[in-house]
Amino acid sequence: MIRAAFSFVRSYFALILVAATFAWSAIAIVSYRARGVPPGAITIRLGHWQLEASVREAIDQMAEEYRRTVNPNVYLIQDAIPEGTYGQWVSTQLMGGTAPDILQVGAMLPGNIWLSYYQRFFVPLTRTVERPNPHNVGTEHEGVPLRKTYKDGMKTAYVDEMQEYMSIPLAQFGSRMFYNKDLLKKLTGLDEPPDEYRAFLDVCEKIRAQQGDDGRFFIPIACSGYHFGMMGGLMWEPLTYRAIEKADFNRDGSVGNDEQFVAFRTGRLDFDFLPYRARFKMIEEMTRYFQSGYTGLTRDEAVFLFAQQKAVFMATGTWDARSLQEQAKGQFNVGVMRYPFPTPEDPFYGPVAPARPREQVGTGFQFGIARTSAHPDVALDFLLFLASRMGNQELNRIIGWIPSIQGTETDPLLRAFEPNIVGIYGAMNFTLGGETVVRWNQLQALYQVNQITYQQFADTYKPFYLERGLLDYMEQSRDWRRGMQRNELFLAGIRARALFSEGAESNTEWIRYRALTASRQVWEELNRSRQLKLMEKGIATNAVGPYEYSPEVLEIVKKNLKRKADQQ
Amino acid sequence: MKYGTTVGTAVCCGLLLVGAMAGCGRKSDISLSPRDALVQGWQNFRLAEYDLATQDFNAALAGAKAGSDEFLQATFGLANVWNLRRPGEDTARAKKLYEQVIEQAPDHDLAAWSTLALARLQHVVPVGHDPDYPAVRAAYRALIEKYPNHLAAKEASIYLNALLISTLETNQLLQAVSNLKAYIESGAREFRAPALSLLAVSYNTLGRQQERLEAEIESFKNVEIDPANPFNEYAWAYWNIATIAEFEVGNFELAREYYRQLIKEYPADIRVFPSKEALARMDRVEAELSAGKKVTR
Repeated sequence: MIRAAFSFVRSYFALILVAATFAWSAIAIVSYRARGVPPGAITIRLGHWQLEASVREAIDQMAEEYRRTVNPNVYLIQDAIPEGTYGQWVSTQLMGGTAPDILQVGAMLPGNIWLSYYQRFFVPLTRTVERPNPHNVGTEHEGVPLRKTYKDGMKTAYVDEMQEYMSIPLAQFGSRMFYNKDLLKKLTGLDEPPDEYRAFLDVCEKIRAQQGDDGRFFIPIACSGYHFGMMGGLMWEPLTYRAIEKADFNRDGSVGNDEQFVAFRTGRLDFDFLPYRARFKMIEEMTRYFQSGYTGLTRDEAVFLFAQQKAVFMATGTWDARSLQEQAKGQFNVGVMRYPFPTPEDPFYGPVAPARPREQVGTGFQFGIARTSAHPDVALDFLLFLASRMGNQELNRIIGWIPSIQGTETDPLLRAFEPNIVGIYGAMNFTLGGETVVRWNQLQALYQVNQITYQQFADTYKPFYLERGLLDYMEQSRDWRRGMQRNELFLAGIRARALFSEGAESNTEWIRYRALTASRQVWEELNRSRQLKLMEKGIATNAVGPYEYSPEVLEIVKKNLKRKADQQ
Repeated sequence: MKYGTTVGTAVCCGLLLVGAMAGCGRKSDISLSPRDALVQGWQNFRLAEYDLATQDFNAALAGAKAGSDEFLQATFGLANVWNLRRPGEDTARAKKLYEQVIEQAPDHDLAAWSTLALARLQHVVPVGHDPDYPAVRAAYRALIEKYPNHLAAKEASIYLNALLISTLETNQLLQAVSNLKAYIESGAREFRAPALSLLAVSYNTLGRQQERLEAEIESFKNVEIDPANPFNEYAWAYWNIATIAEFEVGNFELAREYYRQLIKEYPADIRVFPSKEALARMDRVEAELSAGKKVTR
């Protein structure tokens, strides 16, 4: 008998192993999902990639609060999945029809994949966002449509390709310079670092000149490839703002990669242009105070230097604020400051830094509702609870992030993250495509580590850009034609919706169709034709820029002034 | 390996495969009424499920009476799938289907839309090809003549005039100005704002800046906005009018009005700082001109 059983096991070992593993996982999953949930209760599953303890704790606490104050029959189970595998996990869950009721969306997968998932697997929320949030009763947002209670008007949640709101964002993010308060005091005698650029450089110089107990020199700023871009967005990129005066041909307030190319090709812009020189000069000055080899280091390695008290400053975002505080607990105090920036009085940077950089108010930590949810109404109500004035404030207070809803209070440490919404912004865009981008990145990498000078950078890149850039520009034209075809497809779907709708809805759908047709299918061809004409005309170094006065216009202004004076 | 093990493994694998295949591949519900099949077909079209959309439209076609409204709708739906799906498009088949709609019911709403689709097929050509512009313009003109009051004809009018303007040639621009003025004077409400904007672009190329400014202001007054779209707002329009008034027309008073409007209504817009700079710049320029000084940039 035993022998027969042994023989059976030996013969079918592989199958038995598979079956046993399957049975074990099934039991584990069922018992996990049933944990702490009384029979008959509504269970809502929520999947996300935030493994930070404070996030899980906050969601659990808010679920508890929801049960206590709104619906005692609702229980929430979290599926916290690491970032690295979230994309695969969410794909298998959605395709297998086993997705949690609520899912964090918008990252960890390419945008086009999310778009297809939104279309197939998620509940559109457009109608919800136009209605007041029921959990805002008794607050200043009572009766206000949900989207108007958001700091960014809920732009993050809107999927343009679908013309629908697909998610509920729950937090706002921003980046700042963090610093070790105790080390700063010890090395410089300062309680707070200056945010004026020159004074900040002096502080860095002072730090760099001092050694620790191990005989090693202190590093003023811990950096990595990850941190470099973050700093650039709010330090050296905005210095290029004045380029819009020369290259914003379509006057939309920014410089597109096509406009950048046309401006270079026609001689309106060059690497001699002061704002561009200023950008590179600031990179050169700042990188002096990073640890050597920073370009090859990861985010964690920079954080390690900061946590080990070998560096005084580090750029990072709200998402790291609480964990940095935790790591520093008992060792040093963490401070947060605005990025240093030159004043308009600065002898070199002043002309290109007329104001501090502008920051985008961006929300994230957004969640969608799966179509397969057994309780989509409850899932939505729980999300609305988290997006209410009080709920959002409490959720973010526990996590240590910034609320996304207007009128909420922010943790004192994060007050320094209040965005500066009026200011200057970057206007340099060499991402034309293909080889011009690759070459740009290669040369900039060499410049960052002082292997080439700015002049060498400019002398090498400019001829390459002008020659190869034309191919990239023409390729972009082909993309534009592809885009027109995609728009035809999109508009056919919108038009069908209008054709099938009735009454007031029909009116709205036709307005949408006409507005989208006018904005997407008419202007691109005209813009291209104008740009090609400019390039055909050739070099026009002294041409009047899109935001410059021609002599004729100044003459008219003069006449207007005279007429006004005569009338008085 | 024993025979039994092999058979057992094969059976299990077979079962797994059957199970897996049963779960794969979505099917369209073919038991729907023609109307519901049409609705489902368009839904699948929007989801880029073109095979399912084709099944749905074919089901609607099979269930509908020949020549009926639903029959035409299904033919039109199929034509759109074959025209616009990527990959797997069959524009020749699409053309035939559009032509069928036009032939079977030349006065039907969808005949106008099919005529527009045929014109667009000539205009939106595959990458690497150039449209035959005279033929495209002729197709738009034919549609405008055949269905003068239909929305498809109004849309065609916008495309036709945009094509004329994009040549940047004076004769064509003057033709566009004449067409667009007639369109606006006809009292058409639909596509009125883009028609006025195109008129403004024509005036700009012709160097008639005051008329350009007036056309842009009219366009702004007539703009149609999808109220649910958070990205649709008037900030760009304010900026556009203000900058034309400042840099092309030299009407600083009007420019100030629109810059201020932008700052007030859209305090978080990217153009708020440039608007503040513009207000300061105009004050400075006026002061310099009044003092007889050279204007500094």
